[in-house]
Amino acid sequence: MAYKKKANRGEKVELSMTPMIDVVFQLLIFFVVTLKQEDIFAKLTAARPAPNQNKEEATKQDPPITVAVGREGFFFNDRLCTLDDLDRGIARISGYSKTAMVVIKCTQDSPHKFLINVLDICYKHKMENLSIFSM
Amino acid sequence: MAKPKSEECAMDMTPMIDVVFQLIIFFVVTLKMTDDTNKDIILEEGKDGETLTQDNMPPTTLEIEVDEFGKISIHNAKLSPSDLGAILRNRVNKYGNEFPVLIRADKRTQHKDVKRVMDVCTTAGVWKLSFVAIQEYKAGKKGR
Repeated sequence: MAYKKKANRGEKVELSMTPMIDVVFQLLIFFVVTLKQEDIFAKLTAARPAPNQNKEEATKQDPPITVAVGREGFFFNDRLCTLDDLDRGIARISGYSKTAMVVIKCTQDSPHKFLINVLDICYKHKMENLSIFSM
Repeated sequence: MAKPKSEECAMDMTPMIDVVFQLIIFFVVTLKMTDDTNKDIILEEGKDGETLTQDNMPPTTLEIEVDEFGKISIHNAKLSPSDLGAILRNRVNKYGNEFPVLIRADKRTQHKDVKRVMDVCTTAGVWKLSFVAIQEYKAGKKGR
């Protein structure tokens, strides 16, 4: 009780802000440093060929365009070509029909990167029917 | 030299503390501590694909990771193809076969490892599959 009487007689109690500001700044710096921006991802959707419905649809649609993907590169109409050639080829076809079926045939040892490249080109030219075959 | 009196240098701390607290709350909310993706996977660039946002990734989305050596994982938890098959069948029973399946495969993965995952999906009845690529680098991995 004696303690209570002694304290706070007329003088203003000042709260020291310094430690709080120190801590808050430390926290702020921690969160700024640990903040990491995420990459923006893209989604490339394709279908696996369904064996039962494939034959009926193939007859009424445009003939499929076949892009083969091997270990070393791409084959468009059975000719080895670069990504640029493929880009031009798909661009030409997309001019006629965007609904033509694009069949991407991948060999077992082809890197996944090439499949993504082909899908990306098909998306660039807005081809709608993409199908992935594995050989 | 005269000593400066204490009332002269009293700075009002309130606005600064307000701002700093706002910033802290922002960073606390945006902080993501747990890594729920396999960081070893290097994706290929795909600028023209459909951008992945929260809107086209509903909670039913299943993201399957395939690393460089063909190991399958979901949220960085390793799985065998038969485990994956069980998970997929479960999902198909629950949601039908229209839920989005994302395959996040390393660009160096051989197609046969990706094919194994695709085959498990088709066996479970999921025909529509999406592959994840990087549309834009934000985390500074350009050199990888």
